[in-house]
Amino acid sequence: MFGKYKPLWGRKPRLKSAYDAVIIGGGLHGLATAYFLAKNHGIKDVAVLEKRHIGFGGAGRNTAIVRANQRTQENIPLYREALELWPVLTRELDYNLMFNNCGNLNLVHSEAAMHAARMNIASAQFLGVESHLIDAHQAKEMMPALNISENITYPVHGAMYHPPGGIVRHDAVVWGLAKGAAKLGVHIHQHTEATAIDTANGKITAVDTTAGRISTPRVLVSAGGYSAAIIHKMLGIRLPISVLTIQAMVTQPLKPILDHVISSGAYHVYANQTLKGEVATGAHMDPWPNYTTQNTAHYVKHQAEALSELLPCLRAVKFMRTWAGLADMTPDMAPIMDGNDPLEGFFMDCGWGYFGFKSCSAVGKYMAAYMATGRCPEILRPFTLRRYEQHRLMGETAALVSYSPDN
Amino acid sequence: MALTITCPICGKRNGYEFRYGGEDKGPRPDESGLTPQRWCDYVHLNDCTAGVQKEWWFHRDGCGAWFTIHRDTTTNLEVQSAEEN
Repeated sequence: MFGKYKPLWGRKPRLKSAYDAVIIGGGLHGLATAYFLAKNHGIKDVAVLEKRHIGFGGAGRNTAIVRANQRTQENIPLYREALELWPVLTRELDYNLMFNNCGNLNLVHSEAAMHAARMNIASAQFLGVESHLIDAHQAKEMMPALNISENITYPVHGAMYHPPGGIVRHDAVVWGLAKGAAKLGVHIHQHTEATAIDTANGKITAVDTTAGRISTPRVLVSAGGYSAAIIHKMLGIRLPISVLTIQAMVTQPLKPILDHVISSGAYHVYANQTLKGEVATGAHMDPWPNYTTQNTAHYVKHQAEALSELLPCLRAVKFMRTWAGLADMTPDMAPIMDGNDPLEGFFMDCGWGYFGFKSCSAVGKYMAAYMATGRCPEILRPFTLRRYEQHRLMGETAALVSYSPDN
Repeated sequence: MALTITCPICGKRNGYEFRYGGEDKGPRPDESGLTPQRWCDYVHLNDCTAGVQKEWWFHRDGCGAWFTIHRDTTTNLEVQSAEEN
C-alpha cells in the first residue's frame, strides 16, 4: 500500500538542460504562476525550483486567512479577484481547497479607529468589496464568545465586518496548484536549490542549480521571505525589504465557538477556528530582522493574555503547537511585482509581508501574463520597484494592525 | 528567538530593551548633487543578508546610546565581527 504512493504532482521529473521559464520558489506564488503560465498562455515547459519541499515556507505557515479589505485603490482589486478565484480554482483544479467563507471581524477599540474603519469600509464598498461597520453589540450577537465589557485593556467599540473573507486550507492550495501545474506539463523540482542566475548583455541566460545548469530566457524569483536575499546575492539588486520572523500557534481542538475570523490591531492578535476545531492564532513579528523562524516565550505569553481578554472562554485552553515563518516587509506594506527591469527576462514577485497567501491566486494569473507577454498587466503597474525612488509609496500601512518593517 | 545585545555602556542586556536601527549603510549621503536614486538607496534599500550583518541599535529602555554590532540573522546571535561565521 505504501509502496504504491505517488504524489498528486507525479513522480520526480528529470531536470532538463533548458526550460522556457524557471521559477525559483515552490510556494503558492511560484506554483500559481507556473499553473497559469501553462493553462492560460500555453507555456508548459516550466521548471519550478524548490530548495526543500513545496509548501515548506510561508505557504504552509500562514494562518490561512483570506480577505480583501485592504486600504488603497491599487491593492483592493487584486485581493478582491484573489478572493473570487478560490471557488473557481476549486472547480478547475478538481481539488477541495476548503474555502470556508465565514467572513472577517476586525475589532475596533477607539473612536479614532472607528473613523479609520469608516474610511477603510468606504474604499472597500467603492471598489465593490462588501464591508460594514458594526457596533460592539452587533459584534457580540455575531460572536457570543466575544468579551465586550468595559473592564478589559482595550474595550471593543465596534468592528469592521467583511463577509466575503474567510479561511482556506493552505496546504490544499499548494497541493492543488502543484497537481494542476504538473498535469499541464510543469516540472516541479523539489530539493533543488538555485545557486546562481546567469546573465549576458543585460538578459537572463541561465539558472545554476544544485542538480545542474538550466538555460532559460526568463526567471521569476518568488521565494517568499528569501526573495530579497536571493535577488541581492545572485543579481546584486538591493530591495526595500526587511525580513522578519512572524509567529503563530494553535490551541487544542474545541467545539465550534468562532463563526468568523476575528482580529484586533490594538491587542495585536488574530484568530480563527479551523475546521478541525483548533483556534489558530498569531500576529507578532519580531522587532528586528531575522531568518530564525523561531517562537519566543515573550510572544506566546502575549498571545495567551490577548486571547483570554477578548475571548474569556479560552482561558486555560492549551496551545498545542507553535511555529513561525518569514515575512518580507516593504516600507509601504505593498508588494513588489516587476519584470524586465533592469534585466530582460528577470521577474520578481516579493515583498508580500504577511499578505502572500491571500493574494496568491490572482497574482499567479497576472505574473503569468506578465512573463508570457513581456507586458505588465495594468493591475500590476503600481507595484513597480521604481515607486520607491519616485517617492510614490502606497498608503497600505493604514490597512494594518500596528507594524512597520522595522517596528 | 531571544536575543541579547551588548551595549557599549551597559553591557550585555535583553534584546527587548533595544530598538533595531537598520542595516549599517555607511554615512548619510552628501546633500549636494543628491539624486532620488541615491537617496532611495540610502533610505529604503537593504541587503537582507541571511548571515552576519553589521547593524545599528538604540538602547531605548536604557542609556539611550546608538551603536553598531554584528549579528547572525539566521541564529539571532551577536558575533564579534563579520568574519566570525
